[in-house]
Amino acid sequence: MHVTPRTEEQQRISKEFAFPGDAESLASSRQAMMDFLTPYFSNEAQEIDFFLTLQEALANAVFHGCQNDPSKTIQCRIEIDPSAVVITIRDPGPGFDPYGATQATEEGTNLTTYGRGIFLMRSLMDEVNYLHRGTELHLRKLRAASA
Amino acid sequence: MGLAGVNLCGLTNGNGIQLRKKRMLRVDIHALPQAATLRCTGRIVLGMESETLRCMAESRSEASLILDLSEVHTMDAAGLGLLAELHCMALRRNQALRIVRASRPVCELMALTSLHAVLDVSDCEEAELDGDRKGSCFAGRYMTA
Repeated sequence: MHVTPRTEEQQRISKEFAFPGDAESLASSRQAMMDFLTPYFSNEAQEIDFFLTLQEALANAVFHGCQNDPSKTIQCRIEIDPSAVVITIRDPGPGFDPYGATQATEEGTNLTTYGRGIFLMRSLMDEVNYLHRGTELHLRKLRAASA
Repeated sequence: MGLAGVNLCGLTNGNGIQLRKKRMLRVDIHALPQAATLRCTGRIVLGMESETLRCMAESRSEASLILDLSEVHTMDAAGLGLLAELHCMALRRNQALRIVRASRPVCELMALTSLHAVLDVSDCEEAELDGDRKGSCFAGRYMTA
């Protein structure tokens, strides 16, 4: 029996999520995304990388994008192909300056409670980009590099 | 000689079946007249875990407050922020706050965010910090439980 090799397009899978924008929903939102991602992790290190990254990304969307308001919605999308995992997280907030938000941490002068989340995400992911004035976050992690 | 403990693990359903095996946070307090040691086990992340540790630390009036983080396997930005907050609180209250025996992942995170230069940290597991962490999966060393 001849088996046709699957194209990269056929190997690409994706899923969309919509979560309430409040802190009470944060853990279950993160877990829903982790449940989808977990079968594609090749080791526990990847799992923890994504756990922490989703924790920071969703916390920012909840507290800064939605002002902890459950009537607001956080839109997420996960795309997985053989080369990378791409996660998009969109919130309805006014946006912010992602570069100014991490300046104190990068300079080693941050003694406040906040301002370390984006810095951590940049350490854990291969690409972290904010679009649309900071309301849309794109995360990319190469699968081969992290296997 | 733990005098008090808060355990946030072991959520169960109606039939008593454990739903979540990984420990969230346990804090054991060892209190002496001049010093209190808060021994943390589990993870210090945004939410109930951070709030619990904050409340327990704020409630201590001893001259010296010691955070033993040897059994903390995961910490997020909120957990790091809490360490900074407790450091500032201790300065205001003329307390000495010391972080002891921090696990490797906690040491790495404190070094990464330069908190180790500000906090009083001792007996830290040696962190293997290199210049380029990207894609290195350094968080893979987080999980011990």
